[in-house]
Amino acid sequence: MDKVGIVGYYQVKPGLDIMMSPYEMIFEAVRGALDYADLKRKDLTTVISATNDYYDGKTISNCFKVEAGGAYMKDESKVEMDGAHAAMYGLFRILSGNHKLAMIYGISTPSCYQYESVRVLENDPTFDRPINLLNSYTSGGMQMRAYMKAFGISEEDIAKVAVYNLKNAAKNPLALPEAKKADITIDEVLKSDILSTPLRELMYPMKCDGATAMILAPERQALKITDNPVWIIGVGNVNETYYLGDRDLSVSLSMEMAAGKAYEMAGIKDPKSEIDVAEVFGHTACEDLIIAEAAGLTDKGKGISMVDRGNLNPSGGTMAGYTPCANGLTRIVEAAKQLRNEAEGHQINGAKMAIATGQVGFCAQNNVIYVLERGGN
Amino acid sequence: MLEEDQEIFITKGMVRADFDFWVGLVMDKFYDGLQEKKFIGTKCSKCGKVFLPPRNRCGDCFVKAEEFVDLPETGILKNFTVTTYKITERKIRKVKKDIMVGLVQVDGADTAMLVPIVNTNPDNLKEGMKVSVVWAKKLKGDPQDIAGFEPVGDG
Repeated sequence: MDKVGIVGYYQVKPGLDIMMSPYEMIFEAVRGALDYADLKRKDLTTVISATNDYYDGKTISNCFKVEAGGAYMKDESKVEMDGAHAAMYGLFRILSGNHKLAMIYGISTPSCYQYESVRVLENDPTFDRPINLLNSYTSGGMQMRAYMKAFGISEEDIAKVAVYNLKNAAKNPLALPEAKKADITIDEVLKSDILSTPLRELMYPMKCDGATAMILAPERQALKITDNPVWIIGVGNVNETYYLGDRDLSVSLSMEMAAGKAYEMAGIKDPKSEIDVAEVFGHTACEDLIIAEAAGLTDKGKGISMVDRGNLNPSGGTMAGYTPCANGLTRIVEAAKQLRNEAEGHQINGAKMAIATGQVGFCAQNNVIYVLERGGN
Repeated sequence: MLEEDQEIFITKGMVRADFDFWVGLVMDKFYDGLQEKKFIGTKCSKCGKVFLPPRNRCGDCFVKAEEFVDLPETGILKNFTVTTYKITERKIRKVKKDIMVGLVQVDGADTAMLVPIVNTNPDNLKEGMKVSVVWAKKLKGDPQDIAGFEPVGDG
């Protein structure tokens, strides 16, 4: 794969109720990314968004976002998935050779809708919807039980991951203020409210309003824009079955296969030693471990070792604020910041190679992974 | 920026649009089976995998799975979770009685289905326990005919 450069980005600071319209947020993110890279709107050749019609309460949810997203009279499209999938679409546009600069953004405002209820509309309408048992709480609970049983993991172990993420969030200036918990203890997590056994409230990220934008350029163009771009050197995407009853929920087979493809593309032989930092998108503290393990960063059932090493989700991951449709894109931007030594307050020193992941669907049905390398000096 | 006493206006959507789903021939047969207190699955014509709820194709082999298989009323609890929250609500609200959710693999099937667990309490649940279907009092030929699964004997 030809190198594609990440040359700009911007995250709107998330909030439980941000009191901005989505269009104001998109404009702030897209304008912010252009300004960061010292680019103009006319430089953009394509704009790809990640939004969801159900979350937006309107169909063709991108049709009203054209001006705010910088897409007025331009090539424009969207994916109804995660921001990391929108990034993949933008990446393909660039790799086609037809585009010089791609703006990617993801946005949602869960302060305006009941996220947990709306997710039920993802369910199979012929069985799971009428039987009405599947939502993010129950799927997260069953996944955590499967993981704990398969690898002999305790609730304390998962609470430790939650504590780690929430403490990392406290060091991240762009974390949701309510998620910044510098003094949180394992005991507090274990005493927090049960959502769906064994999943507890403080192991589950807070849903918040947020938007993230990122700019991609082909290698030559990227080097004209900046001396130190972040290169995307590998990407992988695999979708497994929707049915939870078909799957082994203690692992993520789709992420394992996606990571295999991405590492092969990037020439990574041993991700355990070659990847310095990982930003992964998990729906729960437990799922962060499953994804990190599937991405080959540790052996299966040993994800907790990454918490001890401190190179998993230095930003706090989604536990620092879960912004639907933007999560995966935020993970890519956070990983890029690590490689550019820009992660204010949560920098991993000397990070040269990173991964970032995105996903969509219950128990991470569809996974995408990027291998990112520091460019320039 | 907002002033401290500034009001925020939030508008409400004004459209109601109902939607029907054509369930397909295979699920139609499954629904009919439920009304007669029977589980009807399908079998992949290549790998022999048995699906319940049924599908008309095997995603892996990518061939038809249209051979119907009658399955028993018993199975194994593969996984479970107990939630204190309503599954769907405009506001997420607590339930009066905890909801026990199970992934039950009916004997002879290769997949598990998501069903309510009933007639027991959360402390008794464990993976691998034997369970049996409890049919709804009034059968209508839809998934809610499955009132749930209950433990068999001592599980």
